[in-house]
Amino acid sequence: MLPRLQRAPIRQKLMLIAMVTTGGALLLAGIAIIYFNFSRFQAEMQRDLVSLADIVAQNSTAALSFNDTNAARDTLSALHSRPSIIGAALYGSHQKLFCSWSPVSGAVFPARPARDGPRFQDGSLVVFRPVVLKGERIGTVYLRSNLGELTARVWAQAITVLAVFLAAGIVALMLSSGLQRLISRPILDLTGTARAVSQSRDYSLRAARRTDDELGELVDAFNGMLDQIQRRDSELQRAKDVLEERVQERTRELQQRNEELNQSNRELDDFAYIASHDLKEPLRGIHNFSSFLLEDYGGKLDGEGRSKLETLMRLTRRMETLIDSLLQYSRLGRVDLAIDRVDLNEIVAESLDSLAISLREEKVEVRVPRPLPVVRADRVRVGEIFQNLIVNAMKYNDKAEKWIEIGWRKNPDGPPVFYVRDNGIGIPEKHRDAVFRIFKRLHGRDKYGGGTGAGLTIVKKIVERHHGRIWVESSAGEGTAFYFTLQEGDVRA
Amino acid sequence: MAVLRKPPLILLLVALPALLGAQTASEYDVKAAFLYNFTKFVDWPSDAFPDPGSLKVCVLGDNPFGASLQTLAGELVGNRKLTVMRTGSLAKPAGCQVLFISRSEREHVSQILAAVKDSPVLTVGDTKGFADEGVIINFVLEGSKVRFEVNTDSAERAGLKISSKLLQLAKRIVANPGARPGP
Repeated sequence: MLPRLQRAPIRQKLMLIAMVTTGGALLLAGIAIIYFNFSRFQAEMQRDLVSLADIVAQNSTAALSFNDTNAARDTLSALHSRPSIIGAALYGSHQKLFCSWSPVSGAVFPARPARDGPRFQDGSLVVFRPVVLKGERIGTVYLRSNLGELTARVWAQAITVLAVFLAAGIVALMLSSGLQRLISRPILDLTGTARAVSQSRDYSLRAARRTDDELGELVDAFNGMLDQIQRRDSELQRAKDVLEERVQERTRELQQRNEELNQSNRELDDFAYIASHDLKEPLRGIHNFSSFLLEDYGGKLDGEGRSKLETLMRLTRRMETLIDSLLQYSRLGRVDLAIDRVDLNEIVAESLDSLAISLREEKVEVRVPRPLPVVRADRVRVGEIFQNLIVNAMKYNDKAEKWIEIGWRKNPDGPPVFYVRDNGIGIPEKHRDAVFRIFKRLHGRDKYGGGTGAGLTIVKKIVERHHGRIWVESSAGEGTAFYFTLQEGDVRA
Repeated sequence: MAVLRKPPLILLLVALPALLGAQTASEYDVKAAFLYNFTKFVDWPSDAFPDPGSLKVCVLGDNPFGASLQTLAGELVGNRKLTVMRTGSLAKPAGCQVLFISRSEREHVSQILAAVKDSPVLTVGDTKGFADEGVIINFVLEGSKVRFEVNTDSAERAGLKISSKLLQLAKRIVANPGARPGP
């Protein structure tokens, strides 16, 4: 019953309260009315019967005095006009039954009069009253009345109360069904608005205020909260919009800048290629003419002149190498990669083959601890990476027992990491960024086998063209390790 | 106190219906009790009492009641004390409120009535025909049962008011010389 009542809508609860209150009050009032009227009826009945008994007593004085039972019976039988009287008797002053009368046959009368006064007894009202003549008690009158009238009156009363109860119940139902709206309507409105807000997330909705009571305040408070939410919501939305706009703006800027950078990179590459390509032509001329000069007029020059001419030729050769490196480098930025499946074991083997003589001369031990994977990359360029790194490792080593280790490891967060490690001279920390700069050599031109200083720069470029990353770990005097990744890498173990 | 001092009458009165019912009470015991009860149903004018504290019952002629007459003496009727007096003649009927005319005075009844005429005296007879003669209340026997007749004209003339209750019990009411039957 209670959980069901709790689930009932507030409208029903309010009506229930009204009905229960009204019903309870009416029921109590009805019971009180019936009870008090019952008591009043009883008292009235007793009073009436006492009066009647006194009248009978008055009218029986002579009959009692003169022992006239006929007259006494006449007096008593006059009571037949009172249908409620079911027995009447007279007792003499000696308390013996003098005369009795009853509308029904077989009535039983008390053998002797009892205490004076009325009393309810055996479902009827009986009364004993004295018969007094000239201040002297000469006998007793006895009357017995049924309770039919009392019962009838109580019933009539009960039916009236019941009718009032029902009528009042109906009126209360009608009134309460109207009046409950005073409370339930604002609450239902509020509930509806709250539901609509939470479903549609439309914070511009408002509950209608209908009353000036606490419910009205509740509605105001609710609307106030909605105001705040709406304000914050719109602020949030605005902030989000601004942020998005700014992000888009920045993205656009970045894209533009990137585009510009790419453009300028391309232009730079183009420039470098064109410049170096065009530079080679006159350089070759200078070299050729120097060569002709030395051949044709070598005999006419003294030793110093020949030496300077030879230096000129060496320089032009060197410049040609530099320009070739520059051309190679700039070509890397211009041509497309030929991405294919590449077995790195083959690549490394080819590089080692081409370097076999040097390696043997330098007595370098090459270790490949485990087979390398198959990746997606430009076969030729990846070959250049290993070639360059192996050459590097071989060149910068002053140890008696030199070794180079070529390996790789899986990387759970990205592409596999390849490395080429040596036990060479190492790179001091302050130079670690500089090693990748073009034509940057850390040592004298002819030390460690010379070179243009473009090798690592080209390696870096190739790695970057593969969307990879290259970095170096080294401790001076102990060795160097170059690590790189190939984003296109597609490991087939 | 009176009750204690006068047990015989009380006993008689108390026992009367039973005695009557058993038919063992003597006729004059009953009549004595009736005589006493009559006084309760009759109103005398206030000037009828020279001594307001007493009500005098006089018996004219022979006393048929015997000892029961004396038992009435001293009883209270309202606030008056009953006294009983026998008188042989009409010489001094004055001062009597009740005058019982014995059967022995049947020859003189008209004289007696003439003597008390217009006086507030309740005359009680015990002889057939006395009511018609003008005696106010007259005992009659109905079988063995004591009853009485009332002459209302005489009562009216005497200035007495007889209770209707008493009249209801009368065997016969004489309203004028032309007698009419009682209820």
